[in-house]
Amino acid sequence: MSEDLKEVGKESPQEEKKSLAARLEEEGDVAADYLEGLLDIADLDGDIEIGIENDRASLVIEGGELNHLVGKSGEVLDALQELTRLAVQTSTGERSRLMLDIDGFRAEKRESLAELAEKTAEAVKSSGESIKLQPMNAFERKIIHDTIQKIGLTSESEGEDPDRCVVVLPS
Amino acid sequence: MVDEALEHLVKGIVDNPEDVSVNEKTHRRGATLEVRVNPEDIGKVIGRNGRTARSLRTVVSALAGRSVRVDLIETDEER
Repeated sequence: MSEDLKEVGKESPQEEKKSLAARLEEEGDVAADYLEGLLDIADLDGDIEIGIENDRASLVIEGGELNHLVGKSGEVLDALQELTRLAVQTSTGERSRLMLDIDGFRAEKRESLAELAEKTAEAVKSSGESIKLQPMNAFERKIIHDTIQKIGLTSESEGEDPDRCVVVLPS
Repeated sequence: MVDEALEHLVKGIVDNPEDVSVNEKTHRRGATLEVRVNPEDIGKVIGRNGRTARSLRTVVSALAGRSVRVDLIETDEER
């Protein structure tokens, strides 16, 4: 067992990367089949783009008339993403962290959250006091943390879901 | 359409897709979709804390444009 682990460790980074890319590509294909089947049945038009982003499979559906598949606050999109991850897991036997987006919903959300993080960082810097943000889901918190880190401040999450929120700290 | 969509969504996440069937039952307060799955798969379609069941209902209700009740049943029951 430990020898096996050593062997894996010996693999060159390039090979590892390749196998990861191949795995993510397979994830993307399975996920696209699952989503395409759903769009067909529901008679909805949508193009599915498969890619790899931050070491995750990424699927984007572009359709224009898919608002109801996003939901008011993205709750339908989250549910569909969850089911698609399960479909991939059923097919490949491995847990999937794939990201699904529909008509740029997550892309826009990412932008507005990054903006919020920047504004909050400014306020923390000038006041020297930490600021606690509204409760957010894991996806949203990650964007805040990443942005704060880029700016050079620190942040942490506190509380339990669904009330878990990010606190931005003065460095 | 909605029952077909639900069947597709469930078949993709279970180990025994051939055992999946969906029945629509209408009653005074609306419609219920009854999903039958192999007993081995019931835990999978319910998910931790009912998360998967909730996701199924959310997507199906969105497609239907109204709130749809989804009941998950093991195939052995009510035979």
